Amino acid sequence: MATLMGIDFAALSLKDALDLAVLIEEEAKERYEDFAQQMELHHTPEAARFFRFMAGNEERHRAELSARRLALFGGEPRRVTRGMLFEVEAPEFDEVRVFMSPREALRVAFRAEEKAWAFFVEAAPRVGDEGVKELFAELQNEEVHHQRLVLAELEKTPPESALEHADVADDPVAQ
Amino acid sequence: MTSLPSFSAKDFKSDLKPIWCPGCGDFGVLQAVYRALAAVGRPAHEIAFVSGIGCSSRIPGYTTAYGFNSVHGRALPIAQGIKLANPDLLVLAAGGDGDGFSIGGGHVPHAIRRNPDITYIVMDNQIYGLTKGQLSPTSPKGLKTATSGYGSLENPVNPLLYVLAYGAPFVAQGTPADMSGLAQVIEEAIRYPGFSFVNVQSPCVTYGEEEGQVKAQKARMKTLQSLGHDPADQLRAIDLARSSGTELYTGVFYRNPEPAPTLDALVRERKEQLGKDALPRERILELFLQR
Repeated sequence: MATLMGIDFAALSLKDALDLAVLIEEEAKERYEDFAQQMELHHTPEAARFFRFMAGNEERHRAELSARRLALFGGEPRRVTRGMLFEVEAPEFDEVRVFMSPREALRVAFRAEEKAWAFFVEAAPRVGDEGVKELFAELQNEEVHHQRLVLAELEKTPPESALEHADVADDPVAQ
Repeated sequence: MTSLPSFSAKDFKSDLKPIWCPGCGDFGVLQAVYRALAAVGRPAHEIAFVSGIGCSSRIPGYTTAYGFNSVHGRALPIAQGIKLANPDLLVLAAGGDGDGFSIGGGHVPHAIRRNPDITYIVMDNQIYGLTKGQLSPTSPKGLKTATSGYGSLENPVNPLLYVLAYGAPFVAQGTPADMSGLAQVIEEAIRYPGFSFVNVQSPCVTYGEEEGQVKAQKARMKTLQSLGHDPADQLRAIDLARSSGTELYTGVFYRNPEPAPTLDALVRERKEQLGKDALPRERILELFLQR
């Protein structure tokens, strides 16, 4: 799994798995915030709005998982770190472009949800703890649900113009 | 026993928002730098980050380290000066391929021969992006740009060969297509005691070629580790570096297994030696007044 660094899934406890899930959501939230900021700066407001919306979703999931972790394990110290993962649910940093359409932004989110689903599918057989298995199955299902939501949104979003932005825009302006 | 403070990537992220074009490879380099600095574990106030001029040279401002977005091509002399003035600082220099191998190209060999304990990261996008897409020293032959409408007639500089030929003791290459790998080589470069060089193939999303973009890099990159390369083998490193432009190798090309004394260490030693026989300040003043 290219996205992972140094995670021993067989040794993962439920507390570790919840911490990992929280960090995954945190990473995704930050990436969507970065994307929204980039789109705002580069005059692409519709994509920016969508990425802000996604950042809000990821933050909500993070808070839910965090509350669950707190209820089960209180303030017990964390063993997993952000350094152990890379872009699990966060879209890849190079997915965005100036003047991208709302449909393109939705497709970025869809690919990210697919990627997160694949992560949990690949991780599941390596897990030893029953509680972790259940949690990963639950998160995997959630990713499927998110994919459906994004697809439904795509259905409602008007098709892209036949024109590429390069057909109508001036050359990019030097910074 | 006291525990050392630990850092996360977030600790090195400044409030200043990057204005690079969305999709720029430099975003990946920045993330890798955050991670490497967190892994090295020095607080931001003990780090100085110097750059030249260009898109990539904005990078110090996006970190919480002390930053100096300096003069075109002059990141290395300034970084060396900072290291000599305060050897306890962790000093990083960064810039683009134009900054490092065109206007600043003359500074690279001298930094290498002096061997200060600094890390130089070149974010090589093979074009002058900030000024809207002119040929740069690493642009491939045949590239059509604003200044080469019929295709470049010039051979590109090979940054890896360049620094290896001058005897750089630590030479590595990375790409934001493999951010974790890039973070690792930057961390290793920082930890190396001496001049360390990291060439990052960081594509320009606006003026770069499609086949140079991150997605394409993912398909063609090969780790040196997977080739079984021994980083202590300088001749093999040179051989591998020769294929830059056709192959995209990532990892450590060369690491001198017997690091030479650094310039900062030698200067400190010289100061201590001379200090023993030095006259007290008051005596110097007296002698001056007697004349």
